[in-house]
Amino acid sequence: MSARLIASFLLVFCALAVWQVLSIPESTIQSEVGPILAPSILVALLSLLGVFYLFTTISNKASDCTHQEEGRPLKGGSTRVLYMLGGGLAFITLAKVIGFLIPAALCGLGVSMAFDAKFNLKTLLMVFGIAGAFWTLFSAILGVDLGPVVQIPF
Amino acid sequence: MQGFAIALQPMTLLYGFIGCLVGTLVGVLPGIGPALTIALLLPLTFKVPATAIFVLFAGIYYGAMYGGSTTSILLNTPGESATIVTSLEGNKMARRGRAGPALATAAIGSFVAGTIGTIALTFFAPWVVDAALAFGPAEYFSLMLIAFVTVSAVLGGSALRGLISLVAGLLFGLVGIDLQTGQPRFTFGQPEFLDGIEVTIVAVGLFAIGEALFLAWQGKENKKADVLALSGSLWLSKEDFARSWKAWIRGSLFGFPIGAMPAGGAELPTLLSYYTEKKLSKKPEEFGHGAIEGVAGPEAANNAAAAGVLMPLLTLGIPTSATAAIILSAFESYGIQVGPTLFTQQSSLVWTLIASLYIGNVILLVLNLPLVGLWVKLLKIPSQWLYAGIVIISVAGVYGSSNSVFDVGLLFFFGVLGFGMRRFDFPAAPLIIGLILGPMAEQSMRQALTISQGQWSTFFTRPISGTLMAISIALLLVPNVIRLIRNRK
Repeated sequence: MSARLIASFLLVFCALAVWQVLSIPESTIQSEVGPILAPSILVALLSLLGVFYLFTTISNKASDCTHQEEGRPLKGGSTRVLYMLGGGLAFITLAKVIGFLIPAALCGLGVSMAFDAKFNLKTLLMVFGIAGAFWTLFSAILGVDLGPVVQIPF
Repeated sequence: MQGFAIALQPMTLLYGFIGCLVGTLVGVLPGIGPALTIALLLPLTFKVPATAIFVLFAGIYYGAMYGGSTTSILLNTPGESATIVTSLEGNKMARRGRAGPALATAAIGSFVAGTIGTIALTFFAPWVVDAALAFGPAEYFSLMLIAFVTVSAVLGGSALRGLISLVAGLLFGLVGIDLQTGQPRFTFGQPEFLDGIEVTIVAVGLFAIGEALFLAWQGKENKKADVLALSGSLWLSKEDFARSWKAWIRGSLFGFPIGAMPAGGAELPTLLSYYTEKKLSKKPEEFGHGAIEGVAGPEAANNAAAAGVLMPLLTLGIPTSATAAIILSAFESYGIQVGPTLFTQQSSLVWTLIASLYIGNVILLVLNLPLVGLWVKLLKIPSQWLYAGIVIISVAGVYGSSNSVFDVGLLFFFGVLGFGMRRFDFPAAPLIIGLILGPMAEQSMRQALTISQGQWSTFFTRPISGTLMAISIALLLVPNVIRLIRNRK
């Protein structure tokens, strides 16, 4: 991933925002300023700033922490990020189906492995312990609705 | 006095104590800050009375400032730019076997500065309120514009990246139903977006998930420097005290007024304090090798600036830091209008909050030094368990507030965004401030234009608004003009 790619994402985001501004229905309420003005100004400004940022990336003036020795990641950076995002995905897909505990533990497992924990019994016990402790704190003590701790999907 | 009467009630005191304890904890632990913690606790606003919750938040805010110095001194890891100077001298003192006096001068300095800052807030806030009562929608819009310009273009490393972050935040703030006309905006046809994007999701995504993703990507957390042993007495010797007390006072006097300005921040007063102490010291050769004044002054300046940030927040409703922005959204959850009218309509709440700051300072002084051994142990928690805990609590906090996995997906979206912002040096605070102040700024702009029958000149022709506009434009342009002139030379 480079700064130029980020600038391109920003411009794609601006294009999506333009589409959304054009999709705002005209208001039937008589008003000096309708619902479209502020979004239009902001999208135009962000597009302009995005183009400026693209220029800075082309002239290699954009900041990136990998340009400095201490900011550079160790080998396997992308894999570690994917572990963590995988944990998040596991929670999103499973939480409604099988309850809070197992998806939260899987999410924690992804995070632990992203921080170089080994996949073994100790790690599993730790992440289940953390997930269980937070379910107890939030759901049982504070009364926050996290759903059932474990749910059988059939 | 009524504020003290409420703040000293056992239940309020308990909330203050918990806030101070949690605040110090999050200040000590790397990767969690007061903004994230307060954001995670926002769902409590549905269950806990307003006074108790703001006393809790104030304790967290002040506690995190105290706790940050422990990490800077013992681990040489400043949690934020304002504590870089503390780690510069404090860690050198710890390496020379004087960690105890470094922690003591930081804690007592924080107490002195916090108290001076709170006294200043008590006496100056009513003046600002009196002045702000003359503000109409046009003045408010212009004032918010100053806040936008300063947090994005003046305080950060790059005006361009700060402005991109701010405008993105303003756009996220407009997602949902337009309250004046009922039209949906930026919803992509998703009903989940009709109520807008929750501040909690954005703040937790950027600060917790984004930070964890960044640190995991770097892969250096398990290889970080060892925590230095707690060495030396936790009491200040006569000489240490004599060298510290003037630095505490001077640091406080730098910190509060600069922190209270919309363009202030905490970096400038800490640096000013450091260089002043270096200049005035009888032992300037010790600077860079562990001079106690180099810890005492900047640490006091940092804490006084934290008190200063509450001034524009409580009197004008303008947050100048990410934490202040999230506290503002907590006021909104209770339907409380922050600004000059807060002091008249919610005077009991405001004065209890201010009284709790005095009490919190005392609690923190009592709590910090005796428990420093515990804080050191916390620093030794392995990163894989620490971050697993942070991410699970973040996911549980967001999932629990709405029971929606869509919101958890959004949390990870903002986490990835936060990771990208951290890597490419985009500041997060302007995005949060834009998200929270954006809808208010739009409302003020629309009200002002309705009153002036669509005349945009109203922002420039009204004296206060015009002056504020001129200041915004100057803040945006002058640094760039100066840079251009310097480059030409």
